[in-house]
Amino acid sequence: MTKKIIYIKGMHCASCASNIEKSLKKVPGVKEVSVSLMTNKAFVTEEGAKNEELSKAVERAGYKIISIE
Amino acid sequence: MHNHSHEKPVEDAEMRSARKKMWIAWLLVIPIAVLMLLERFAGIMFFDEKITTIIFLVIAFPVLFIIGFDTMKYGLRGYITLYFTMDSLIALGTFIAYLSGILSLFLDISDYSGISGMIMAFFITGRYIESKARGRATYAIKRLMHLGAKKARVQRNGKEIEISIEEIKIGDIMIVKPGEKIPTDGIIVEGESSVDESIVTGESMPQEKMKNDAVIGATINQDGILYVKATKIGKDTFLSHIIMMVEEAQGTKIPIQKFADKITSIFVPAILIITVLTFIGWIFFTQNYQLALFASIAVLVIACPCALGLATPTALMVSSGVGAEKGILIRKGEAIQTLKDTKYVVFDKTGTLTIGKPAVIDIISYIDKKKLLTFAASLENLSEHPLAKAIVNEATKNKINLMKVSKFKIERGKGVTGYINGKKITIGNKTMMKENSVSLEKISKDIVIIETQGTPLFIAENKKILGIIGVADQLKPYAKETIMQLKKMKYKVIILTGDNEKTAKNIAQQLQCEYIAEVLPEDKLQKIKDIQKKGMVIMVGDGVNDAPALKQANVGIAMGTGTDIAIEAGDIVIVRGDIRAVVSTIILSKATFSKIKQNLFWAFIYNIIAIPLAISGLLNPIIAEIAMALSSITVVTNSTLLKKIKKRMY
Repeated sequence: MTKKIIYIKGMHCASCASNIEKSLKKVPGVKEVSVSLMTNKAFVTEEGAKNEELSKAVERAGYKIISIE
Repeated sequence: MHNHSHEKPVEDAEMRSARKKMWIAWLLVIPIAVLMLLERFAGIMFFDEKITTIIFLVIAFPVLFIIGFDTMKYGLRGYITLYFTMDSLIALGTFIAYLSGILSLFLDISDYSGISGMIMAFFITGRYIESKARGRATYAIKRLMHLGAKKARVQRNGKEIEISIEEIKIGDIMIVKPGEKIPTDGIIVEGESSVDESIVTGESMPQEKMKNDAVIGATINQDGILYVKATKIGKDTFLSHIIMMVEEAQGTKIPIQKFADKITSIFVPAILIITVLTFIGWIFFTQNYQLALFASIAVLVIACPCALGLATPTALMVSSGVGAEKGILIRKGEAIQTLKDTKYVVFDKTGTLTIGKPAVIDIISYIDKKKLLTFAASLENLSEHPLAKAIVNEATKNKINLMKVSKFKIERGKGVTGYINGKKITIGNKTMMKENSVSLEKISKDIVIIETQGTPLFIAENKKILGIIGVADQLKPYAKETIMQLKKMKYKVIILTGDNEKTAKNIAQQLQCEYIAEVLPEDKLQKIKDIQKKGMVIMVGDGVNDAPALKQANVGIAMGTGTDIAIEAGDIVIVRGDIRAVVSTIILSKATFSKIKQNLFWAFIYNIIAIPLAISGLLNPIIAEIAMALSSITVVTNSTLLKKIKKRMY
């Protein structure tokens, strides 16, 4: 299990955070997601989830990714 | 005092462009507002109806589709991807209003295109003010992130050079002049100074530091030049750990928010359905397209999930910031909610209530007191035992010269022996005395006196007892006040300790609280479970040997020592050793939780009142938009007020 931090651009309200959360949870391998609207970050606990998949999930919900750590 | 650490984080380009957009939007829509007001209240019409509509359409176009481009794009895209946000509501509302203007040129319906521009202008303004307020809420945290030094002066190849902070390597000797920040964590190799650690640990008193003392990066050297060997860099530093903990806490969920989150996630689709029903309802009952449109647009723009969604994160953010300034790190947001129902505060004694370093507290001597201490210290100087150190320190304090010892021997767990001037001296516990045939019968009363205060160490010459030295761990400053405060807050306070019954009782009496004595480290967990049968427990410990007990407690508070945060186990971590921070933690948590409740209450009430009003057609869409903007601004501003709690904290 690894923890990843995704830096996100374009969130401005609670629905945004919950959309990203929903979208990230659908990525195979993702165990836990919490999105912080205040710091523009998503904290993902995952096992075998690819960074590209995570990026896609965020973009699918309509937001931009700055980086994944 | 430290002005240099108070510089505001620079306003970023995004905010600047948002502000520019906002002003342009207003410049454009003010003519619309003037025309609309004149017509409404003075009945003056400068142009014919169709021309007015065309003017509105022309002016509103850039407001909606250029300035509001992102809102429109992301909002309307939601109808394709089915990821709705509040933008989806605003985008649809303004889009329909604008469309009504175009259609009114050909059909007999009313024109809301002017309103569409005004709604967008208010929306952008509201969002701008909200971001500003959110920036204020994150201010304390951002400050923490920018706290670190940017440059360092190091010795390399015998020369002093200035390098940027990223270039420091472990083992570098850094030169820190008075008034400068210590670049990174390290150990002093030369020099003495007092160091202001307040910005990192919240400890308000400057700390005296000398050779071999550890120092924390980003703290400020006050008087002397320090030569510091770098021991930790980058992500491993004390400050980095603090920042990471605070950041991660922002992502944790507080149970009370869950309900609000559930509503947020179905909010937008639900509002869309309500809007359609409103439209159909008005047409069905009144056949009035104008009113149906009016009410529907109002519903779309007034409904706002934002206030609901911002209620908890903004309060948590401000609270984390205030806490971090005082050296209190809330790691699990959940603790804030749990804490309000706790009834017991259980303290681990050693290292939490006490300093953790034993000291001599009483000496009963049957020979010259100075002589006794000389014998004891000369022997103990050769031992590494913590109790031995206490005796040597006491001798140093009394300026005693140590004597030469021969044939020194350590008996593990019992004591030490050695010869001074040909005489055999023994120091140790009762077992040691027994094994050396030293009789303690006659001094049993004196033993009791010492035992009530701490651990007795016996000193004997051959078989003759010379005296007893009592050694005990000292209470931390403010331990008593802290417990008094907690009792005032209606908490039951219990001390857990491995000490014997007598010592424990003595300390508990001094502090006027309950105690459980002779608890082995592995039994602490069970004791917490026992207390939990009676009520919820806050456990305060150092996080080293009481980690399982901290985890078992409903809220675990781990206290650091000032240079180390060990501290995986705590829900809340207190960075500095100041015991009063426990009271501050409770005050802060309770204030944060009630702020969250307030925010959620207002957010719910707002939607519960506003949406029916909009459905009933009583609200002008522009007023609806203003109300919507105000609702989230209110919540965020209310959260920033939490900063005031700082005055009540230690």
